[in-house]
Amino acid sequence: MPALRWIAARIGGALLVVWIVATTVFFALRASGDPLEAILGGPGSQASPEAVEAARREYGLDRPLVVQYLLQLWRVSTFQLGDSYARRESVVGLIGQQLPSTLLLAALALVLAWLLAVVGAVIATSSRGIAGRVVDALLRGVEVVSTVMPQFWLGTVLILVFASSLGLLPATSAGNDPASLVLPVVTLAVPIAGFLAQVSRDALLEADAAPFATTARARGAAEHRVLLRHTLRHASLPALALSGWAFGNLLSGAVVVEVLFARPGIGRLLQEAAMARDVPLVIGAVAIVAVLYVAVVVLTDAVELLVDPRLRGPRPRVLRAPDVAVGS
Amino acid sequence: MSSRTLTAAASLSALVLLAGCSASPEADETSEPVDGGTLVYATGDAEPTCLDPHVGGNYPQALISTQYLEPLVGRDADGTITPWLATEWETSEDGLTWDFTLRDDVSFTDGTPFDAAAVKANIEHLQDPDTASSTGYLAVEQVSEVEVVDDAHVRLHLSTPKSALLEALSQQWTAIQSPAGIARGQEENCRAPIGTGPFIVEEWVPQQRVTLVRNEDYDSPGPEADHEGPAYLDGIEWRFIPDAATRQAALASGEVDVVDNPLPSDIAAAEGLGFTHIDAPRPGASNRIELNTAQAPFDDVLVREAFVRAADPSPGIESLFLGAATRSYSPLSSVEPLAYSDESLFVTDPDAADDLLDEAGWTERDDDGTRVKDGERLTVRFPVSTNQSTAAEQSLFEQIQANAADAGFDVVLTPVDLSAWYGALSAHEYEAVSAPYTTVGPDVLRILYHSDGTVPAPSGYFANHAMLRDPELDATLDAAASALDPDERAALYADAQRVVLDSYAVLPLYDQQNHFLVNGATGVTTLGTVATPTFVNARLTD
Repeated sequence: MPALRWIAARIGGALLVVWIVATTVFFALRASGDPLEAILGGPGSQASPEAVEAARREYGLDRPLVVQYLLQLWRVSTFQLGDSYARRESVVGLIGQQLPSTLLLAALALVLAWLLAVVGAVIATSSRGIAGRVVDALLRGVEVVSTVMPQFWLGTVLILVFASSLGLLPATSAGNDPASLVLPVVTLAVPIAGFLAQVSRDALLEADAAPFATTARARGAAEHRVLLRHTLRHASLPALALSGWAFGNLLSGAVVVEVLFARPGIGRLLQEAAMARDVPLVIGAVAIVAVLYVAVVVLTDAVELLVDPRLRGPRPRVLRAPDVAVGS
Repeated sequence: MSSRTLTAAASLSALVLLAGCSASPEADETSEPVDGGTLVYATGDAEPTCLDPHVGGNYPQALISTQYLEPLVGRDADGTITPWLATEWETSEDGLTWDFTLRDDVSFTDGTPFDAAAVKANIEHLQDPDTASSTGYLAVEQVSEVEVVDDAHVRLHLSTPKSALLEALSQQWTAIQSPAGIARGQEENCRAPIGTGPFIVEEWVPQQRVTLVRNEDYDSPGPEADHEGPAYLDGIEWRFIPDAATRQAALASGEVDVVDNPLPSDIAAAEGLGFTHIDAPRPGASNRIELNTAQAPFDDVLVREAFVRAADPSPGIESLFLGAATRSYSPLSSVEPLAYSDESLFVTDPDAADDLLDEAGWTERDDDGTRVKDGERLTVRFPVSTNQSTAAEQSLFEQIQANAADAGFDVVLTPVDLSAWYGALSAHEYEAVSAPYTTVGPDVLRILYHSDGTVPAPSGYFANHAMLRDPELDATLDAAASALDPDERAALYADAQRVVLDSYAVLPLYDQQNHFLVNGATGVTTLGTVATPTFVNARLTD
């Protein structure tokens, strides 16, 4: 059964990712500092010898490094992520508190990025003549600039303009207040939108010139009908395939955006935990993000399957690597 | 992100703010202070992992706990110890027994009376290894027994005399909490410690805010309070905004009323924007560069003096901090009454630096101008903690690096995170380092320059980064630590500072920066202890 094999391969891939991530994080954090710092109130703390010894025993740090590593792996693989060293609370609980905020941010940013990309692509392909070429060139320029725009910079400028100078929107973001979500969502969405727009515009142009579009037009279909029923569907495929990647990008972009806009979320949690050498929290957060990422990639593949009937043929073509090169 | 990016963002922010807000700075002057309302405070310091400052004990905890916990004694702006929860105190001749008289009309906000038993419970809590107290533990380390004489009298028995006891007990890290609150266990107490302060912790939403509400029964005004009874504000919303430009934007747009850790450019722009600027340097040590005397090349006093003559930090301090920081010539903060300063030791003189290095045998130079001796380059490894050094300070270090290069020093600045920085120190992979140390009183000199401080604590940390090991200095610092006569104590600390400065192992830069900007509130003051703000007198002006 190809579907089962497909799912098994995905799960195997997810486990591999989590294992690599957990291993890297464990040794990176241990190589550059002693987690006792996090446990005993941060670097520079002059905890008493009794406190240090008690903490070492309590957290199993008196055991050989390999044993600690294997224990950590065991915990991750059984999803017992343990307690944060610094906050002394359950890792799952801490992440559970912060995850919805990040997911909301990432989902809204993805939706906005898609909207911007599609609108941009449609405008670029439907304008004709000299004006059309100017618009197209302009849009290409905007796309390139927005793709390379650092989110830190973009966010700062948005804050300065819309919060401090105009006073239209809050500079900080918490919870689900729509006004406070605008700037972080835009900051996060713009670079992704630029990337998606580049890909979908080219595909839209290609579809527009394809025989099936010509046929539709020859049969008297109106332009908007051609666009909605035929070309857009075709053009969305490469961008759809990229949405998994985009979502991963959004999760990492969330670190910058959440710090900048003082928004709660898993990105900020991760940043603070990494600074504090909070090994269980970093590994837990990264493992959950990795699982999420894989889940979204699987989901976008499934959506692709729905949108593109050609993929539902006898050979499960979805197993192939994405044919669009992903920039880093 | 590099310091340049931050500086660029900072200047950009100042520009936009000036452009956007120049229209309405007078608005505040006409508005009258009102009672009630919620003040919003935005901190750039890290979010505490525990709101009880006994656990661990760092500056962010001192900042917030000032609003709900009070210490036994206070300290005014002149550095004089004042009554607070304790009204009087007396020391025995040998300095080993301290008798405190306590207020008998104060209760914790959970209704538990404040009494001698509460003081005992608090000191024992600080000393309990399970509490994992670091700063507070050091303060009460020498207390061997707490004797409850009666409800209003408590006697501390010390293992050795400690002249800094009152200063230590004035710090927020030893502030007094309800014993019933402590008894709830660490997890619950961390979420909402219970004290006698003007505000009460109502709710903590991690990464967002701590909600503080007024203590209606507040009746233990500290040295900064201008009135009896509860605070004027209904409450405080304490927010965590890590990015300085965002904090400033939130202040400008009225989203928050008070911010800490503003950028130098924002401080410089504050007056034009109608913000109030509060400059409250931290006590304890000044910000300084320490040279590692335990290994080459700074084991040679000539080379240390050459570095001091060549470094020339003053122009950099003036230009980078835009007037927000003043050059220091003391190992102690300018707010320490016993700080001793000697500008003459730190005169910049590049020619003298060259002569000193020649005299020390560093006569050759290699192709890039770095001096060489016996095939060794004159390299100075300088790890910089990006968590502790601001962008302006890191730029200052770059200027010092350039100035010292003229004399032939190859200063290698390595920006690292706190953990790696700490690791470099433990491994002695540094010749120069800058480390803040906040505490109340001149006893910080013993922590930083006594040879005991060269021996790492169990956590690997040692505070004497200059690695000074001078038996005479040790003796002076020990004598000062137990000297109960104020004049004798002052003379001993002056001697100790002279020795430290004469060693050329310390290059003082400026006070530890502590600035607050206020927009739309009055009556914000800071305590004379670790310069944390108190809102007991604060009113909104909207």
